[in-house]
Amino acid sequence: MFWRTLNERNPNRVALRLALHRRRLTQVLSAAAVPAPQHRRFFLFPVSRTQKLGRFSSALHLRWLLGTDPEAQPRKKPETSKLLVMDHHLASDSPQVRPRWRKVAYGGMQPGFDDNHTDESFLEGMVMNANVVRRDMLKVMLDSVSISEYLCIVALVVLVWTYTLESTIDESRLLCIDVSLLVLGFLILLFTQEKISLSILVHHYFLNISFFIMGLYVLAPIYQTLTRSISSDSIWALTVSLLVIHLFLHDYSESTVNAPGALKNPALTSCISVNASVVASVFIASRLPSRLHVFAIMLFSLQVFLFGPLVTYCIKKYSFRLHLCFSISLMVVTLRFVYMLHCLLFVLLLSLLVFVNVVCPYWLIRIQEYKFEINGPWDEAKLCFAITD
Amino acid sequence: MDRKKHRIMMVSDFFYPNFGGVENHIYYLSQCLLKLGHKVVVVTHAYENRSGVRYMTGGLKVYYVPWRPFVMQNSFPTLFPSLPIIRTILIRERITIVHGHQAFSTLCHEALMHSRTMGYRVVFTDHSLYGFSDAGSIHMNKVLQFTLADVSQAICVSHTSKENTVLRSGLPPEKVFVIPNAVDTAMFKPAVVQPSRSEIVIVVISRLVYRKGADLLVEVIPDVCRLHPNVRFIVGGDGPKRVRLEEMREKHSLQDRVEMLGAVPHAQVRSVLISGHIFLNSSLTEAFCIAILEAASCGLLTVSTRVGGVPEVLPDDMIILAEPDPGDMVLAIERAISMLPKVDPQVMHHRMRELYNWHDVAKRTEIVYDRALKCPNQNLLERLSRYILNIIC
Repeated sequence: MFWRTLNERNPNRVALRLALHRRRLTQVLSAAAVPAPQHRRFFLFPVSRTQKLGRFSSALHLRWLLGTDPEAQPRKKPETSKLLVMDHHLASDSPQVRPRWRKVAYGGMQPGFDDNHTDESFLEGMVMNANVVRRDMLKVMLDSVSISEYLCIVALVVLVWTYTLESTIDESRLLCIDVSLLVLGFLILLFTQEKISLSILVHHYFLNISFFIMGLYVLAPIYQTLTRSISSDSIWALTVSLLVIHLFLHDYSESTVNAPGALKNPALTSCISVNASVVASVFIASRLPSRLHVFAIMLFSLQVFLFGPLVTYCIKKYSFRLHLCFSISLMVVTLRFVYMLHCLLFVLLLSLLVFVNVVCPYWLIRIQEYKFEINGPWDEAKLCFAITD
Repeated sequence: MDRKKHRIMMVSDFFYPNFGGVENHIYYLSQCLLKLGHKVVVVTHAYENRSGVRYMTGGLKVYYVPWRPFVMQNSFPTLFPSLPIIRTILIRERITIVHGHQAFSTLCHEALMHSRTMGYRVVFTDHSLYGFSDAGSIHMNKVLQFTLADVSQAICVSHTSKENTVLRSGLPPEKVFVIPNAVDTAMFKPAVVQPSRSEIVIVVISRLVYRKGADLLVEVIPDVCRLHPNVRFIVGGDGPKRVRLEEMREKHSLQDRVEMLGAVPHAQVRSVLISGHIFLNSSLTEAFCIAILEAASCGLLTVSTRVGGVPEVLPDDMIILAEPDPGDMVLAIERAISMLPKVDPQVMHHRMRELYNWHDVAKRTEIVYDRALKCPNQNLLERLSRYILNIIC
């Protein structure tokens, strides 16, 4: 009886009961999460957008606002529960004071309460959207520039492959491109890494790269005859699928790129993506006429796929503006070359870049509204130390 | 008041001859309900060559339906082919209430669905806590929403479990009853002669898996052994993390201070418990920990992690709670060691007899059954609308 009188006194509880009656899980939670005014502050947000979407999504919107409060804390209101208990007593007409309900499991049924009694402290420990990051449109767009930068790099590689396969570029020009790319990469590394000195550069990078190039040159005849029995159609199909896999699984957050010395565990997907790109390069190289062609194209592809991420990471770390300029110029150059190659491909690439840079950030921010993360005392505890086997 | 006698069908994938929380719960609850005069039938899948109808103590009839367990003791999820056998059992035993146990059991979900189709009243008991964010939990919660959209009443084993179930399934909280498990205090009696307190023995009995906090044990045991030279550990149980514990033992040369017993059969748990003074539970998640009750019934002081429903299980003078952090647990063990002289196992055992009792659980469950029978019978359209509402939300 006094459960109902208590409700009429507190409009939030009325909303909760209505939501429960309708069994709308989302509204239950939004109503249950409406806190006592002294603990949270409401954000003022233009409501006109949500009014068009309807009452249901405005409830969701309200929940998102409340949930992403940076000071979100579990609602612990021991003092208010005492007040509510006093309300209990005031509301009831019986002279004897029945003992308080306690959140314990021992002692059998609590006298005066049913087993399905739902106390005011129900769902008190629930925390919503505690770890959700509030995103800003401009920042997301700037971050997505690195994705389109990498897309353009891969597009340029495919361009070079196409021109080589059509014999538009001959092997000496390809070798010049290789050498200039190598020199450019070294210069950028030297320029952007302040801690690095010329001697470390020579010992660490230069030696490794020369071993690598020698190995490639020695193995070039093997690559040349590797896929002789496979038809060209299969090769093109495989290469395209491998490149798509490579783009999908590539680690755009660059968590695996490391400065010399750091050791991190690469994720499985980044290993798969690197392998996919290498295998795609091998397939393309095997279609070329002479050994020198094969060596040149392999060197070019592997340079870009294996060392490209390192170079772009160094640029980004050094200065964000430089990174932005570099990416935009790269996009412009790529679009121009692709336009010269084929008009349809140009349109495709342009729409892909627009999709990645503009449409996806907007979509992400719109969907963030519906993010609903629940934490509470029922969660599995997280160990604060690392398990070393 | 002469209560109506029910004919109850308990259905779950987890029953004797397996041992565990759910299995014990079903067994003891059925025995107490039989004593109250109701008829109880248990339906479960076949275990190795144990198949067919068996009778257990007190006339408890168990149907071991001839299906093999598929993965993790669950039967293979067949949606409709389970209908004939369930229907046969329901009609043959003239069942009035169907009681399903454990959200993880596919047999339970199917039986509840078929029972509701045939118009029986259904009660569901949830024994575990689940998260919300990983793929397995999301799938489990979706299945649970489907089943619980139509259940008459639900029972949870602790208040934290009630909050978790309400959030996962969207049930109204008034439909969920909190009836905790209990412990067989007649079986778990303290030792007649107490082990000497000159050397303090800490007992750990649990499956050695990540979920039960075996990694915490690996960090805590060396620290405690270093700080208290008169403390000894007995570790019972087996699992994937046993190797780590053995390595820890070798690394810190604790072979004479940490005894590893391997898997302890249920009948010998009491003899292991009474050889100790303190019981350590380090699980990372627990809806309701029966192991703690068994230890308290044997007169041991409990040290446990503050997770899930554990804070609700024992009064504050019988349990010491710690955060799931090695430093905090070491401090809690120190507090327990200092509290030990004031602890009298016989007094603790008598208190446990007052606090937890399976007959009390059976009486409270009877109230739930009476409430379930009063629920109105809904036709197919109304039930479908509840399913659909739950799928949309």
